[in-house]
Amino acid sequence: MSGQLAVTDVRHSFRGLHVLRGVSFDVANGSLTGLIGPNGAGKSTLFNIVSGFLRPDAGTVALDGADVSRQSVQQRARGGLMRTFQTPQVFPHLSVFENLMMGSYRLTHDGVLGGLLALPRARAATRQMREAADAACDRFHLGAVRDRLAGTLPGGQQRLLELARAVAAKPRLLCLDEPSSGLNAAEVEQLMTMLLALNREGLTILLVSHDMNLVAIASTIHVLCFGEIIAAGPLDRVREDPRVREAYLGV
Amino acid sequence: MALGAVAFIVWLAVPAIASRSIVDVLVFTALYAIAGLGVSFLLGHCGIVTLAQSVFYGVGAYSAAYCTTQLGWAAPAGFLAGMGISAILAAVVGWPVLRLSGYFLALATLALGIIGHVLFLEWDWLTGGTLGIGGIPHLELFGLMLNTPQRFYYLAWLVLAIVLWLHANLLNSRTGVAMRALRDAPTAAAALGVDNHALKAKVFVLSAVLGSLAGSLFAHYVSFVSADSFGVDRAISFLLLAVLGGARTIIGPVLGALFVTVMPHALSTLGDIHALLFAAGLVVAVIFLPDGLAGLLQRALGRREQA
Repeated sequence: MSGQLAVTDVRHSFRGLHVLRGVSFDVANGSLTGLIGPNGAGKSTLFNIVSGFLRPDAGTVALDGADVSRQSVQQRARGGLMRTFQTPQVFPHLSVFENLMMGSYRLTHDGVLGGLLALPRARAATRQMREAADAACDRFHLGAVRDRLAGTLPGGQQRLLELARAVAAKPRLLCLDEPSSGLNAAEVEQLMTMLLALNREGLTILLVSHDMNLVAIASTIHVLCFGEIIAAGPLDRVREDPRVREAYLGV
Repeated sequence: MALGAVAFIVWLAVPAIASRSIVDVLVFTALYAIAGLGVSFLLGHCGIVTLAQSVFYGVGAYSAAYCTTQLGWAAPAGFLAGMGISAILAAVVGWPVLRLSGYFLALATLALGIIGHVLFLEWDWLTGGTLGIGGIPHLELFGLMLNTPQRFYYLAWLVLAIVLWLHANLLNSRTGVAMRALRDAPTAAAALGVDNHALKAKVFVLSAVLGSLAGSLFAHYVSFVSADSFGVDRAISFLLLAVLGGARTIIGPVLGALFVTVMPHALSTLGDIHALLFAAGLVVAVIFLPDGLAGLLQRALGRREQA
């Protein structure tokens, strides 16, 4: 398994406001890494830079040693960098099953012409997507709602669906943006179990959240505050760091 | 199933029992449905509003006319030339224009429609301008001259059936699912690896090819083309039939095409007021049929099954 991410000296400002002031951090191969920080710390900006939705003013993002800084969102996605969104982004008028089919978009190939003529290659691509969607349905217990339009699901299930879809893409690196927001306590518990299981199977995960309880499952945590990484390490060490206590925990 | 068989038999029998003028209208239904299908899947599956389809319809018609009457080529060559030119034109024009979205995109395609019409009028060395090009030969199929509405009816509807079949294939393919994903949530589609812009451009090209195909058929059917047939009003008809029929369904454009061709014909017996009545009918249909005529049909069939 691969999925090592290296963010080096990333800087970004909006209208003269320095949101990120030279951020560097790594996500090790096969790790479950957390990135926490209070609201306004620059987490979302950093996340968007990693996934390609924003171009940083300076600095680089590398996946498995290859610089992806100049790649578009879809190029990074095809390369195996998958992300979820703070507000879950399902395809509302597609069924749950079709949503899951889209997970393996990056792993399949066909063309418009092949699709029109239903050539063997195109049919094989569709079959592969269906099989992957079936597997994801089972794994994430979405079988009961598989034919429902995704937009009609409650928020918690939309989030689960988005995660399932991203996992179906067999990512090298899975980046989750505030995956626990909008979930109730039981659902958060479930999410934690699921993420730990995925990570044990070798999936590299970057977890961005302000929720200390959720991030506790991460083996390494980076703390972002006012556009800078102020501490890094396992939870216990980070929690004891005086700067973190002051800036983040307000103690 | 039984309903489908009945529909097929009725379709088969129409030229034998209906009057020549009705068969003529139904030929246009098929032509409009082919061109409108392109508009429909841009709208229903990619969320793109286009008012430029009249241009590609025109390119197809003029290609057929020019290639057969001026260059002396066989008819299929004219069809291919039209589709080729339309595809290239759509790719070149679509690439920058499809960066826009919403109203801006709609307005940009409207501008294309207007420019196209002006060029059809002005480039009279190619299009014959207002005089048009006449004497376009009738199509011949297996030694049979398609020189009557009755004969052309079968060809036009056969082509439509093939196009619908291809369309259904595409919608069920990986690309089809990606198109609908792109319409629903472009950001999420990109995050899963879909190149939104390239996909839109491809579908735009496909749509243009359909417009051109319909235009070439039109030219061979009426054997005379002039710029009057390729104005913005034609583009509006194509868009209208997509909206009216239900752009998200496969059968929608056919129902929409029936409405925009048969309705004016049926109302024309009422005299000058027919245009007004047609417009009123449209307003009523749009207000009361949010899913289009296809939605109405689905509901009617659903109720029948429940009963």
